[in-house]
Amino acid sequence: MRIPGLTTLTLASGSLLERPFRTVLTMLGIVIGVAAVFAMLSIGEGSRQKILENIDSVEARTISIFPNWNNGRASARRAWRPFTEQDVLDIQAIPGVEAATGDLSQEYSIVSETSDWRANVIGADPQYLAANDLQMQRGRPITQTEIERRETVAVIGTSVVRSLFRGQDPMGERIKIQNIPFEIIGIVDETEGTNWRGQDQNNFVLVPRPTGRARLFGDDRLVRNQVRSIRIVGTTQEDLARIEREIDFIMRRSRGLTADEAPDFRIFNFSANRQAVAETQRTLSLLLATMGAVSLIVGGVGVMNIMLVSVTERTREIGLRMAIGARGSDILSQFLTEALLLSVISGLLGLGLGYAVSQVSLGTDEIEMVFSPNIAILSFGSALLVGVVFGFLPAQRASRLNPIEALRHE
Amino acid sequence: MADRAVVRVHGDNSVSAPLIETQNLVKTYGRGSSVIRALDDITLTIDRGEFVAVIGASGSGKSTLMNMLGGLDKPDGGDIAIAGQSLGRMSKRGLAYFRNETIGFVFQQFQLLPKKSALTNVRLPMQYRRPRLDEEHERARNSLERVGLGDRVHHKPTQLSGGQQQRVAIARALVGEPELLLADEPTGALDSKTSTSVMELLVELNRQGITIILITHDKEVADYANRVITMRDGKIVEDVRQGVLA
Repeated sequence: MRIPGLTTLTLASGSLLERPFRTVLTMLGIVIGVAAVFAMLSIGEGSRQKILENIDSVEARTISIFPNWNNGRASARRAWRPFTEQDVLDIQAIPGVEAATGDLSQEYSIVSETSDWRANVIGADPQYLAANDLQMQRGRPITQTEIERRETVAVIGTSVVRSLFRGQDPMGERIKIQNIPFEIIGIVDETEGTNWRGQDQNNFVLVPRPTGRARLFGDDRLVRNQVRSIRIVGTTQEDLARIEREIDFIMRRSRGLTADEAPDFRIFNFSANRQAVAETQRTLSLLLATMGAVSLIVGGVGVMNIMLVSVTERTREIGLRMAIGARGSDILSQFLTEALLLSVISGLLGLGLGYAVSQVSLGTDEIEMVFSPNIAILSFGSALLVGVVFGFLPAQRASRLNPIEALRHE
Repeated sequence: MADRAVVRVHGDNSVSAPLIETQNLVKTYGRGSSVIRALDDITLTIDRGEFVAVIGASGSGKSTLMNMLGGLDKPDGGDIAIAGQSLGRMSKRGLAYFRNETIGFVFQQFQLLPKKSALTNVRLPMQYRRPRLDEEHERARNSLERVGLGDRVHHKPTQLSGGQQQRVAIARALVGEPELLLADEPTGALDSKTSTSVMELLVELNRQGITIILITHDKEVADYANRVITMRDGKIVEDVRQGVLA
């Protein structure tokens, strides 16, 4: 049985195998080019999906506001001003705000009957848990009544449980902060990882904010109604821009700033921040993919060069083939097949190399790669294109040789 | 003459018709004052079964004539008809097919692919035959046996002597069962003893029925043929039939 095109393929692979070293060197450029294009497109896809998959998370819907220090003109007029409880209430009232909470916290030594431990003591309000995407593990959260009555109750994080109680049940136990006893009424479920400062996210004690303000943080400059920063979670991500504008309006009004004055506070939009990072990463990967494409073109020129050399070397063979009946198109397809075979093998090796390199470099968390068939096909297809484009000229030159002169070639 | 006219009209390939007819064949090279007439008004008829030697000094036009007859080159004037086909009007593609089917070439420098076995070399022309022949392998093997190399099929050219290499080349020329064998100085690269054996092989093949045209500048080689055409300056100056070798 005869398979169409098999002869041409056998012919092409035979002539590549006759010069293995040269073949490998020629392929190198395309291999590297395909690997680069493949890896970089995969990084681009990775960062695109990272944005998509976080789109509904609490973090992606979070806005934080901080007082601005060091802001030239504004700070010259007055030192940084904290926000007030009224600001928190006003922001909570914005339509589309799921939760908003003020931050007032300080690190203290926490003392139990048997040991002591340093943890972050946080003055919480009823929306604190929701605004920080936290769930109760046991017990109950701090109630509005307890906040209003400034009761000495505490809800603790799992790290505090582990460090202070070591297997004992902490529910109902008492801990002392600054020598003031607090009763433990609940435990917050563990959250994974560390925060952006690298601190343990489960090492905290929640107390009613007025209690904390009156009995713990009183010696601080933050008196009475004030909080350091405010954290806001929107219901949907689409609403964030509008919520951000309303926050800006409310804060300016509260702080007596006109619309054109430089604000003495800053609004951080986590998801916008993250999108900006992802955008940068995509731009970078696009740039690198472009470099990969350049490498492909250089590889293609290498293919063309080698094919031209090959045509020159085999001029007599071409002459002979023509004399015994090869048509121009037979010669053309012989050399084109050779160039294509070269780029097909290079393309496959390139995909393999790109994948291998990415597996090695994936140790870093920041770079996320997503492999998709489309990207593989695109990278591989670019190798084929290079083969056809740069293989054509030498093949055409071969097919147009005059057999009489070709046979006389030395 | 009447017979020939009939032959042309019908494109008949019967044995009675001449295999080759050229009419006022002209081929020139160069331009202006330096024009060289490599072929100058050649009219020639060669019958089937003939063994013709074309002899002449270099530059006499004998190689140009062979290229013309082999369909490697096109005339500037006149026409060639081989086996009823007019080469002057053929397309490049048609000429390639004609060379594959009708002509077997034997070259002075053998022109074998150095890294391929004798068998692969012999199979080469069949690669371009449309439609493909059946039993290519057997045909190639038989062809090698016909030139006495049945025991060397897997040898590469570098493992063969010059005479054996030329025999492989002859086997390659024969494999497609052409009507005409064109040999350009087939013994030019061989010593006299090997030359003799190659020439004897050609005589034997001619006896089996194949038409052979041999280009040479060597009188002794030409003596193997039964017709000797002498060329000078693009013209035929002598056309002699000599002792018919049975």
